[in-house]
Formats: sequence, structure tokens, C-alpha cells
Amino acid sequence: MDAFRTIEVKRSIFDNNDRQAEELRKKLKKDKVFLMNLMSSPGSGKTTTLMRTIEALKDEFGIGVMEADIDSDVDAKTIGSTGVKVIQLHTGGMCHLDAEMTSQGLEAMGTENVDLAILENVGNLVCPAEFDTGAVKNVMILSVPEGDDKPLKYPLMFSVCDVVLINKIDVLPYFDFNLERCREAVKKRNPAAKIFPLSARTGEGMEVFTDWLRTEIRSWQEE
Amino acid sequence: MHELGILNAMVHTIEDVVREEGAQEVERIVLEVGELSGVVPRYLEECWPAARYKTSMEATELDVCVVPGIVKCRDCGRVFNAMECDMHCPDCSGQEMEILSGNDLLIKEIICM
Repeated sequence: MDAFRTIEVKRSIFDNNDRQAEELRKKLKKDKVFLMNLMSSPGSGKTTTLMRTIEALKDEFGIGVMEADIDSDVDAKTIGSTGVKVIQLHTGGMCHLDAEMTSQGLEAMGTENVDLAILENVGNLVCPAEFDTGAVKNVMILSVPEGDDKPLKYPLMFSVCDVVLINKIDVLPYFDFNLERCREAVKKRNPAAKIFPLSARTGEGMEVFTDWLRTEIRSWQEE
Repeated sequence: MHELGILNAMVHTIEDVVREEGAQEVERIVLEVGELSGVVPRYLEECWPAARYKTSMEATELDVCVVPGIVKCRDCGRVFNAMECDMHCPDCSGQEMEILSGNDLLIKEIICM
């Protein structure tokens, strides 16, 4: 009879992904490519925010965008109109991107002359938070109509992000959204998170975010 | 689906272990799933036949052990089971808590040939 043996593993389910993410970050550092992972719910204004960000930075940096969606290429077409490099990634029904898919996406897009690579993750506040994509910084968008209680309901997402963009502040008067309450809820989950209220539609507050991004890209490339 | 992606990630991590240990076929996987990890144990079990399809683990069984979500109230210090108490402190009704256990998704062990 064949002998069975028990191997004590005691490893996180995500161990393989976490290692691949670390390797990808090392490669990005060597290649001087800053990868930003952008996460949010569907309809929070990711594509509009990206359009504004690209307009603000495209004269200074080479930009490439990876649009991840379960299906369709609606967003890729919109982003493509700005003239930057863009590719569409289909996750084939999966609700998130992992480090391996991100790495393949970067390869398919090509990172020569790219300083800022942006991954527009699948619209979802749960799964993308669990998978380290290898990004240098995680940015998430919470829009006013979604409500200021989201940091309490999706604690993991708010604890893994470096920046929270509170989008659609132009409609604040019409919603029961308390900016201070939201700020406090984010800080409870993640005291280090930066919070930038803005409106991608009107452009209000956008420069605070793009200034932050510019500084981060430069320091990643210089260090 | 959330649980399916998690099982795919698990398969990759176990393939690393199998390679490192020089093991052959994996007979059984024992997972520890925290009650506060956001993953539904029953869904993991239901997804497993789909997740293992066309992998090196097509004949592998999956055991899911649930780890209770034990938390400490940040207001009064009471330690309690978060699920049983509906995420509220039974003493002071506080909702701010420090997680002591039940937050992780761990591969406890694998049984191999």
C-alpha cells in the first residue's frame, strides 16, 4: 500500500500570488515603471477620473492603461481617445485581477517609454482587495452616491489602499453623505490612507490627486 | 465568483508546496477558513469540483475547517464571538473591535502520496 504523508503547510491561500506580486514590483522598479492599481465599485467614475488624470499628466509622462473587465471594450475605447497606450484585459468571468494576469497584461501592452502604468481593476469592492497585483500604489474611488458607510462595510478594501478618492463631490448637496464621517471611517481602518475629495466631472480637486501622483512617480523612478 | 478565484489562488500555492516537498499526488487539502475572512465555507466546498477541473488536483478532496471569529471590544475590552453576537459587543453594544482570530484563509496541511 502506498504511504500517505501529511505536510504541514500553514501558508496563506494567497502565498503564490503574493510572491508573484513581489517579483513584479521588483521588475517594475528596475524598469522605472510606476504601476497604479485603481479599484472601485461599478459606476464610481473610474474611467472619467482616469481621463482627467491622463489629460493632466500625459505631457510629462509616458502613460499606458490596462482596462480590466469581465467583458466588453467600452472603457478601452474611451481611454484610447486620449491617445495613450491602452489594452483591454478580459478576466473571463473572474471578479478580480491577480499578479500573474497583471504581469501578462503589462507584457502585452509593452512598458517601453511607459512611466505610469494604470490598471483599471474590475469594478468590485471585495475580491480585488484580496489579490496583490504587484502595483506600487493602490488607489480606490468611493463616490458620493454610494454612501459614507462603505469603509465600514468593506473594511479590507479600505485597509489595502494608499489613497481614497472621494468622487462626485459636485453632487454632495443632493445626498446624505457626510464627508467628515467618511474620513473618520477610513482613518479607523487605515490611518495612513490619503483622502482626496474631488469631482472628476467638473475637475474640482483633481490637481491635489495628480500632484500626489506626479511626486510618487518621480520618487519611484529616482530612488 | 469570489470563492472560485480564491480556490484558483489556493491551487497555485499548493502546487508550489508540492514542488518544494517533492510530493506526488495530493490526496486531501485541509483549509482553515476564518469566520471573518469574508469567505463562505459552503461555497468553497461547492466550487471545488469546478476549481480543480483540469488542474493537477482533479482527484483531490477538500476539507474546510471553520475558525471562529473572536474579537475584543475596543470600548470595554470584552472578548466575544463576533458572529454569535451579530458584530456588536454583548456588554456595551460597541461596534469597534480588534480581531483576535478568524480573519485568515490558511492552508493548514495537505495529505500526499
